[in-house]
Amino acid sequence: MIRVRELTKVYRVPIKQPGLWNSVRSIWYREFREVRAVDGISFDIEPGERIGFLGPNGAGKTTALKMMTGLLHPTSGEVAVAGFRPQDRHAAFLKQITLVMGQKQQLLWDLPPLETFALNRALFDIPKAKFHETLDELTELLDMKDFLDQPARNLSLGQRMRAELAAALLHRPHILFLDEPTIGLDVQVQADVRRFVAEYNRRHQATILLTSHDMTDVSAIARRILLIDHGVVRFDGSLADLSRKFGGGRRVVVQGPLDRLAALGFVAEEGRCVATVDRDKVNELLHAVLQVVPSADLTVEDPPLEEVIRRAFGEAREKHAAAGGAR
Amino acid sequence: MTEAIADLGRAMRAAPALFRVAFADVVAYRAEMAIWVLSATMPLIMLAMWNAVAAEGPVAGFGQTEIARYFAATLVVRQLTGAWILWQLNYLIRHGGLSPLLLRPMSPLLYEAASMLSAMPFRIVILMPFLGLLVAWRPELWATPSLPSLALFAVSVSLAWMLSFLVQALFGMASFWLDQSLGLFGVWFAAWGLFSGYVAPTALFPEGVQPVLYWLPFRGMLGLPVEILGGFLDWRAALPEVGIQLGWVVVIGVIVRYTWKRGVIRYGAHGA
Repeated sequence: MIRVRELTKVYRVPIKQPGLWNSVRSIWYREFREVRAVDGISFDIEPGERIGFLGPNGAGKTTALKMMTGLLHPTSGEVAVAGFRPQDRHAAFLKQITLVMGQKQQLLWDLPPLETFALNRALFDIPKAKFHETLDELTELLDMKDFLDQPARNLSLGQRMRAELAAALLHRPHILFLDEPTIGLDVQVQADVRRFVAEYNRRHQATILLTSHDMTDVSAIARRILLIDHGVVRFDGSLADLSRKFGGGRRVVVQGPLDRLAALGFVAEEGRCVATVDRDKVNELLHAVLQVVPSADLTVEDPPLEEVIRRAFGEAREKHAAAGGAR
Repeated sequence: MTEAIADLGRAMRAAPALFRVAFADVVAYRAEMAIWVLSATMPLIMLAMWNAVAAEGPVAGFGQTEIARYFAATLVVRQLTGAWILWQLNYLIRHGGLSPLLLRPMSPLLYEAASMLSAMPFRIVILMPFLGLLVAWRPELWATPSLPSLALFAVSVSLAWMLSFLVQALFGMASFWLDQSLGLFGVWFAAWGLFSGYVAPTALFPEGVQPVLYWLPFRGMLGLPVEILGGFLDWRAALPEVGIQLGWVVVIGVIVRYTWKRGVIRYGAHGA
């Protein structure tokens, strides 16, 4: 569905020193610096996959996403999405994809969302029957029936985001690029959006590529993680693999007396006793706990995703620094 | 080319929806729209000025009646050739608003053109009472053009709109490369005001300048359709100039197409 090979994007960024003289000088002499936002990434994505495209700010993930949607032209390398070269922005390609950017809007600001929907129906050549069927489905899934006839500017952020999602999905795209789709939303709407995206994937077998700094989004939606930093893919695998690679062990959680467990390395955390050990030491520790507290209530879990990602980013930065590289 | 034709087909199919959106927009912005239309009443000011000049005798064949008819026609043509793609593009490019439009299966330029054309009927409706008052005041202004003149006017005013749209689009696209493209347009606008027939009929220019104006694009953006509508130019005499108009539409259209392609690549470089 998506094939990326040695994809690279280099920006030429103008450099301007402060001060009046430098402003005058910049009229006839402009200096530029090259920034390698994406540096030769390669991967394949199969139909129906749900990908978490993660990385710290400035890692190159949005640039990569924009190259996959055709908004940016690659400096070198290849990208093919549904068999098309995205930067050609062929109509047949655009009808198969959608890009939802948390802070950019396509709703007509002074008109009700229904007008935007009607316009999109015309622009995307959606047959009337299919349009109504999809709109009914989206209205139900996104719980929109109470506000579709109000001007977009009068909607709450949550209502607007739901209408944005509906506008982006009316043509039933097969590939969803979601760039921070829950940013700025309250907890309830965030949960609604996550539930909706997962449901859309289930119903339509859509491929989903998500960027987000919210790990709840990632764990709710993504099944595979592509970790990108300094324009390079640092990890490509399942959430479980990510946890195994960067998690630094597993967490043994015990509901029991800390004074008897502290000697085994347990510390108090939110009213529970928690110890993190290497994966091959888990059985040994469980055995030791049962010796000390025979009736202990035990659970073994992976470390929180936030922690795993933090470690992964840290490791990526160290590798980048070791390679000697400012971009 | 096939993509462009498909785009045009989509624009035709989208026309009813665009018209509804334009109507809803006009209703939402009715006060702003009325002010916008009325602000384009510069021809009435020019009418008053030239009317005073012509009171002492015809200027280059333009007596008071001809002057009044010329500027009444200018008022109509200005409304029919209204485009605001310059400001729209400038805003969209600088604020990243172009991205959602680039993801639709229709060229953003064509989409904006269709939106602007959809608003045209409302501009005419707002203008009607003013024209009515003008004709009530000076009934001799009403000159019924012949059928061929009317047909040629329709062609010429359409080409004038296209020229205005394309030239504005070209200046708007400067925002892909420059921070302040509106200033550049100011220079063009000054030349346009002078040579298009906006501040004075081009017939009032010295004879040596006339052939130059004939070949420049400015008259084709305003003066030519005004003179056809006002009955100053017989349709047979106007025909070659409409050909020049068409030539400019093609030339500027090609430049716009090329610049747009380069600009969209550049838009990416902004990271918008």
